[in-house]
Amino acid sequence: MSYTLIITEIRRGQFEERNLDLFGLSHLMDKPTYVLCPEGTYPINEKWADVIITTGLKEEEFLMPMNICKALEKVFERFNISDEIILTHSSSGTECASYISGYFALPVITDVNGINKDSNGFYKSYYSDKVYGEFVTTTPNTIVLTVRSGSFKDKVKEKSEAPKKEKIDAPLAEDERSFIEYVEEEKTEIDITKAEMLLSIGRGVGNKDEIPSYEELAGIMNATLSCSRPVVDKLWLPKARQVGQSGKTVRPKVYLAMGISGAFQHITGMKDSECIIAVNKDPEAPIFQYAHYGIVGDMNKIKDKLKELLKA
Amino acid sequence: MDIVVLTKRVPVTQEEELKIAQDGSSVDLSRVPFRMNDWDNYAIEEAVRICERHGGAITGVSIGDMESDEVLRRAIAMGAKDGCLVETKGIIQDPFMRASLIKNFIEKEGISFNVIFGGVQAEDDQFGVTCGILAAMLKLPFSSMVIGIDEIQENHMILRRELEGGIQERIKIKTPCVLSIQSGINEPRYVSIMGIRKASKVERKYFKAEQYLEGGAGSLIDVTRWFYPPKKEGAVMLQGEMEDTCRQLLGILKEKGVLQ
Repeated sequence: MSYTLIITEIRRGQFEERNLDLFGLSHLMDKPTYVLCPEGTYPINEKWADVIITTGLKEEEFLMPMNICKALEKVFERFNISDEIILTHSSSGTECASYISGYFALPVITDVNGINKDSNGFYKSYYSDKVYGEFVTTTPNTIVLTVRSGSFKDKVKEKSEAPKKEKIDAPLAEDERSFIEYVEEEKTEIDITKAEMLLSIGRGVGNKDEIPSYEELAGIMNATLSCSRPVVDKLWLPKARQVGQSGKTVRPKVYLAMGISGAFQHITGMKDSECIIAVNKDPEAPIFQYAHYGIVGDMNKIKDKLKELLKA
Repeated sequence: MDIVVLTKRVPVTQEEELKIAQDGSSVDLSRVPFRMNDWDNYAIEEAVRICERHGGAITGVSIGDMESDEVLRRAIAMGAKDGCLVETKGIIQDPFMRASLIKNFIEKEGISFNVIFGGVQAEDDQFGVTCGILAAMLKLPFSSMVIGIDEIQENHMILRRELEGGIQERIKIKTPCVLSIQSGINEPRYVSIMGIRKASKVERKYFKAEQYLEGGAGSLIDVTRWFYPPKKEGAVMLQGEMEDTCRQLLGILKEKGVLQ
């Protein structure tokens, strides 16, 4: 029987919002949706699923590459193999997708943001989100997919009054890899999620010596200084200032992004800001697609000009 | 500890306008600059630091055309002992095929290692799965998104993986294993032109990909067309001289009530 299998992402008891996109994609496929879950109770609308399978694994054991493959073996013994295996495009979702692909020798496409039903094609972004490619499988095999958050959530619908509940017992691969603990980021005085206005800087700043000058501009503007990932990777600003999927999600009144090209992981963390203004020297930068206002230009010169105007 | 580090030469497209062929069959990269994938810098740096503390040697491995020799020279300049280039005709888009090639190469050439490192993803295709597929094929434990290696013991490591929202998980992993290294784990060393020149004198080994394609190492996925992302409404672009656009910007801030 043909069906799609969703592997849910649960972290610290939370049913991650990105899971909605897994259901949305599955519902577009027009076949039964099977959902694989760790143990526990999560706020999931069970009507979205036709079959819910629990594994007996705790959340931190569940999304672990070797364990999930053992669990899938059990699922496929019971229900045959699914047509698709769908995971979130997240740290653990992608990690598991890669291992599943190698373990079962299945094709994998990650970060899927659209489909072409006529050609059975999947869309994926390439080259800094400048182009998309349409991918198809060359074998009739099951395909492993990870899904870009926000891409399919509006396709979610209720499917069944009461889904069938199934349970499998998955063995643990504890001697290969085991979970020890969650580690939280250190608390800092500045909380960028509380700011009314963020002045956010990216790779385009180019050079560490420019940072104090942006701190000064943020001060004059009454804004808080935040940044994108490359600035943190270069140790120019602390991790607590980072906006994006691996940093903080922010919704200020105004988000002024300077020298940020708009990688999807960054957009995820700021797209719900009330007003987004982008400054970038590349007129084709993806951030202009998400911004309300844009300026094409050299961020460092614009920063100096803004300071001059504000001081006058 | 002997470490194999996978490294890739990628186009730097952040500030480039990319042209797609009329029929959508290809993307023109002929005018785009290339360099080592940024994540690989962190992977090599981490490997070098481990070998400096614990001994061992690093072998850089790259799959691509002859131009990829450039990233091996850089890896050697950073501290790798040697480099192997597996030469392909054309770009391999399928990460499953890339991983198959690497697996067959490592096994056939008897490359010894205690750990294999790679970057979390390549900047060009952003697939982020080659290391994980390879690990499963080699039947080795795997962790992606490694943002800290806290302990290295005889037969295991303690490390931290980056999750979302500033959270990490600490895990114990058996060695040998495959790890994909996240940017920001360290501060990659500066590589001078002189360093690269010196590295050029270290012999690299060259192999042909065809030798490692047996055993079902074909492509499982194909790209059928390239296209531009659908345009959204987009931003209202502020026009005029810089002073004028800056005044408009400040006007918007006042209108939104964040600036007095």
